Amino acid sequence: MDTNRRRHKTAARIGEAVFLLVFGIINLIPIFWGMVTSLKTTRDINSFPPKVFNFTPTLEHYQTVLSTGFFQTIVNSALYAVIAIVAGVVVGYLAGYGFARRDFPLKKLAFFIVVVGIPLSGGSSVLLIPNYMYMMNLSLTNHWYTMPLIYTAYNLPMTIWLMISGVKSVPLELEEAARIDGAKQKYIVCKLLPPLVKPSAAAAALLIFINAWNDYITASVMVTGQERKNIQMAIYDYMGFFGMEWGPLTAAASFAIIPILLVFTFLGKQLVSGLTAGAVKG
Amino acid sequence: MQKQNSLKRFFGGAYIWPAMFLLLALLIVPLIYTVYSGFFQYKYMMKGNFVGLQNYIYCLSDKKIRASFMTTIGVTVVSTAISIVGGLLMALWIDRRGGFFSYLIEMVGLIPWVISMVVAGLLWRWLFNGDLGLFNLILKGLGMEPIYVIQNRNSAIIALIFVMSWRTIGYSMVMLLAGLKGIDGTLLEAARVDGATFLQTLFRIRLPLIKSNLLLSTIVLTVSNFTNNTVPKVLTSGGPANATNVITLEQYNLSFVYYEFGRSSALSVLIMAVVVVIIACYIKVAKYEL
Repeated sequence: MDTNRRRHKTAARIGEAVFLLVFGIINLIPIFWGMVTSLKTTRDINSFPPKVFNFTPTLEHYQTVLSTGFFQTIVNSALYAVIAIVAGVVVGYLAGYGFARRDFPLKKLAFFIVVVGIPLSGGSSVLLIPNYMYMMNLSLTNHWYTMPLIYTAYNLPMTIWLMISGVKSVPLELEEAARIDGAKQKYIVCKLLPPLVKPSAAAAALLIFINAWNDYITASVMVTGQERKNIQMAIYDYMGFFGMEWGPLTAAASFAIIPILLVFTFLGKQLVSGLTAGAVKG
Repeated sequence: MQKQNSLKRFFGGAYIWPAMFLLLALLIVPLIYTVYSGFFQYKYMMKGNFVGLQNYIYCLSDKKIRASFMTTIGVTVVSTAISIVGGLLMALWIDRRGGFFSYLIEMVGLIPWVISMVVAGLLWRWLFNGDLGLFNLILKGLGMEPIYVIQNRNSAIIALIFVMSWRTIGYSMVMLLAGLKGIDGTLLEAARVDGATFLQTLFRIRLPLIKSNLLLSTIVLTVSNFTNNTVPKVLTSGGPANATNVITLEQYNLSFVYYEFGRSSALSVLIMAVVVVIIACYIKVAKYEL
């Protein structure tokens, strides 16, 4: 009986290990293979049987990519993401405070717009043509602020939602006690609450970063030219430019993945809490 | 006094003004503007005559657009179903394990969701490459004939569905796992003591309790897959012979290849109509409350 159960447990363990292995391979193999390819010489890329570890790594493709002005697009993407994060978190926090702590006319309607915005901005290509025509007519396309503005707005609904629950998690008594001690409203909003809503702010910032850094399609219609291009556009353009030369292409792709993987490795827990926050109430 | 109070109440809402300004300016107004533009002839960015419903009639009667709608619906339904069912099975399994194992799987599962669609599409395209791709090298190693995945009608559709579910399966797993973790353990314990089998607790307790998580992730993924244009654009570019020409590519081409912005506005409104129905379900399920 006892050995039977133990055998059962061993079998289950093996099953889990196999599952984890297969799942891990399928999920990671494109990234692994892409990075391996980026480190090979063009000769090694074209050789059969494929060289998995037994090749001399080279950084030539990274140099090729950087020599075409790729670095500028990395800076652009980083800049767009940082501005969108700062603007999104600040504006979202204020709105979250308003929704959580204040009562005002049309509050229900305003909140409805936020709720509709959550799935709407997730399917960004619904807004692609509308926003393009609209911003084109207002001459708002192809400026340094074009992409940050759009990323801030697209991520606001989710940010506001995260911030509402962040502010609500702070007990109202705390605010009232501060007020009795003579604290001004400005102090409460600017000094007292921000450290306490940090977890929500971190989750929101992470989501904004991922969405802004990874966006291709919106940027591709809104901005043009090397000085405004973001990293994803640059990678897409390389598909034509290098004529499907996989060395430079995978090197460019690696540049785009590495920051995401770094952030993800250290802040994975916050990301999960941000992603699942939308389902908490259900 | 009364007046002062209502003024105070009005300015109490000032906290949300910047956010509402951005949302109205960049989410709501453009949508209304597109509905309006759909009724006009629009070549390049020049607004022409009012043409009534002609743009809509064009979109609904054009054979290519209709075929494209059908392709999109098929790809969306199949890849969302794979993600949800697969994600559910994995979530049920690792929910019982917990600890570091489940954390590791969650992280590995989410990686395809957090990397960009351009990169994901590009890397899979490289793997599926006809002569040098890893996929065919493995087939060759196994002594099989190579498959030109992207050049082949059926395999291109399968590849598109595969990459779309690959991207989203980890997401649905994490969402469903969050629901499963929220279930009161004593409930399952009580059922077990009463002699309920695994399947009984699954259908009577677990699934009903995570119903909203299930619906919510289904809706989110349906919107995301239905409106996804980056993955098809990078992976297959709509080919071969329009086999993977999803509606968002059609919309993109109508605007930025043919510059028919009136027609593309009408098509955007049609896509929006589908999305609005899904969003209505979302709001009903999500029960967001202040």
